[in-house]
Amino acid sequence: MGSGSPTRAAHTRPDPAASRSLSSRADRLQALRHDLGSALQQGLGMEPDAAACCPTGLPELDHLLGGGLPQGRLCELVGPSSSGRTTLALALLATKTRRGHCAGWIDGADAFDPVSADAAGVALERVLWVRPPSLREALRCAERLLETEGFPLVVLDLTAGQGSLASTNDPPTWLRLARLAAGTQSALVVLGSERRAGASAHLALELQPARTHWSEGLVLLEQLELEVVLARHRAAPTGRSVRIATARSRAA
Amino acid sequence: MTASRRVACLLVSDLVVQAELRAHPELLGHAFVVASGDEGRDEVIAASPEATRANVCTGQSVAHARAACSGLIVRTASPARERTARQSLLDAALSLSPRAELAERSAAPFAAEVAVFLDASGIDTLFESERHFASTLLAHAEAIGLAAVAGVASSRFAAHGLARRLATQPADTTLQALSPSEEAAALAALPIDLLAPDDALAARLTRFGIYCVRDLLALPRTALAQRLGSEAVRLAARARGEEIEPPLPEPRDRRLEEASDLEHAIGQLEPLLFVVRGMLSRLVERLEVRGLAARHLDLELELEGGGRDARRTGLSSPTLDLRVWLRVLALELESNPPRAAIVGISIVTEGSAQRGDQLDLFRPRGPSPGALDRTLAELEALCGSDRVGAPRVADEHRPDAYERGPFELARVRDEPARPDGGHAPPGSLAVRALRPPARAEIRVEAGTPVHIRSAITRGRIVTISGPWRTTGGWWSEEGRYALDHYDIQVSDGIVARLCFDWVEHSWRIDALYD
Repeated sequence: MGSGSPTRAAHTRPDPAASRSLSSRADRLQALRHDLGSALQQGLGMEPDAAACCPTGLPELDHLLGGGLPQGRLCELVGPSSSGRTTLALALLATKTRRGHCAGWIDGADAFDPVSADAAGVALERVLWVRPPSLREALRCAERLLETEGFPLVVLDLTAGQGSLASTNDPPTWLRLARLAAGTQSALVVLGSERRAGASAHLALELQPARTHWSEGLVLLEQLELEVVLARHRAAPTGRSVRIATARSRAA
Repeated sequence: MTASRRVACLLVSDLVVQAELRAHPELLGHAFVVASGDEGRDEVIAASPEATRANVCTGQSVAHARAACSGLIVRTASPARERTARQSLLDAALSLSPRAELAERSAAPFAAEVAVFLDASGIDTLFESERHFASTLLAHAEAIGLAAVAGVASSRFAAHGLARRLATQPADTTLQALSPSEEAAALAALPIDLLAPDDALAARLTRFGIYCVRDLLALPRTALAQRLGSEAVRLAARARGEEIEPPLPEPRDRRLEEASDLEHAIGQLEPLLFVVRGMLSRLVERLEVRGLAARHLDLELELEGGGRDARRTGLSSPTLDLRVWLRVLALELESNPPRAAIVGISIVTEGSAQRGDQLDLFRPRGPSPGALDRTLAELEALCGSDRVGAPRVADEHRPDAYERGPFELARVRDEPARPDGGHAPPGSLAVRALRPPARAEIRVEAGTPVHIRSAITRGRIVTISGPWRTTGGWWSEEGRYALDHYDIQVSDGIVARLCFDWVEHSWRIDALYD
């Protein structure tokens, strides 16, 4: 084909309007990524952008994470009891379900509290609550939910309230879960006392309870202040931390 | 488009053999017979084509048949299997036409056959031709494990006769569709035996030298009535297409049963599940052919020594997933093993319509109904149906009350999205429920808890708020409660919800702030 053909010319002639909006190569690439979606990102091995994130609704934490937890990745929220893991997970769940999305909560610890979730603003009718009898079933339930399109957020709660859940550090299991999450672009959030997923986790947040605030006079637990440390991130520097104040909801 | 009435006949000429092959496909190509299983006189009631070629025939004793054919496989007859095969043929017919019925049982020499009639009027709007329709019908019958022949004509009588001729002729032709113009000529050539006259009439027709329909139709009606009686007149009227046939019914019953009598009693779970798997697989094939799915399964086990063991299992949504149903039944049988060995199994289901999907342009795309049904079914099979659903806040004052309802796509879609709504600020302090609550030993000083020891936490209580008293259920002995709740922070950093139960007079930790 000659370079002077009309078709060729139409493709190569710069469009002034387009030049203004896509002034740089980076903008063009960004537009292309937006058009082709996450499949292209996976194919090119790129990191997801902010649009492919699942915001927590907590500005400080979203800023630390560059927009929120990434879709299609395995993330860990770990820490001791009363460190705020459930509060963060419910904030994530509330943000997602209030936007009309469905979400799965695999309650390996049988600790999900509907009253607390409702008070946190979770749209309960959009939550598929699964209470597996054991760790093995919990992992299989997670696999099954991640294979199903339409659940952009799956929370796997493996926090052992009374030491009932055995620990699993089986790398193939976590690798399989991470791949399933990438396949359906679901964010898989694993709650636990310690990190289990190892290299399969895209990011890990370690939480530490910082301080409790009790109201004066009529003594009431008003606030739990958390310290969230970015312990692992494949695409960002780690070790940074933020403090988050979790207030008691009036409805609770 | 064909305006006239058209009827198709789907016919299996050797029901007993086909029922056996359907349950045991590994017998295909082998010489086998189905024996009556009587204690005194065990005789052959059906023989496979391979056995027939080796001079085995029905009515022989099993010992005689074994002598005639070395390596002969002998199976015991199962009325339940035959009943199931008969119903399966009806399912194949109902997969293509809403109006179908099983033909009445025929007398000898067609006692072994089973036929089903279905309305084929207007099918040329859906199929290229009646032959294409008939071949699809045969494919559906084959999918549920039955080798059949099919004939299409203007009446049941003609279609039945046609199908019988296809079944008896040695050629491999398994289907034929007769147009109204060629029907009279084709029927005229049929042997008179295919019309199944009763024995007395058949003998008289033979004596008169009437061997085919053409011979019968050539006789004057009056003379026919005088010499051969009213039955012969009725036969001739049917052959001419003059008999008025009632319309085919439209069955509303969606009950499907897969049953089998076992040759040997099964006392262990693993072989039982092996048999159940085969039956479930055949049931799923039948449901699939009819475009249905199962929501409940009724499993009925016939026990050795008499007695029955009936149980019902169900899922929240209909599914056709064999793996899911097998797991559900396995869980049921493992949790409640039968009290005796099993000699007969029946699985019954009421077919439910599979759900369609209508996506919304303006809301996030949720799971598709089909995929969600499969997922829910599998999750329920893994965890139990009472452990999968959507959480709900219970409408009562008890602090630890909660409910679980079904996870329904309709509710998910009907609820409007509230991107910025909700009364709660982001990051509201959440609690983790302890189920069951953790018992605690509390040291109380001056009416206030000061030290705690439990499986969750142990130490000095640094800060405490409360008590917040909740009472209720006083109208019933079992349901009454009186609770004092405290929020406590223990010296090891745990923030918990402590509770004193006035009914049980005990301390416990109900939840952890997390």
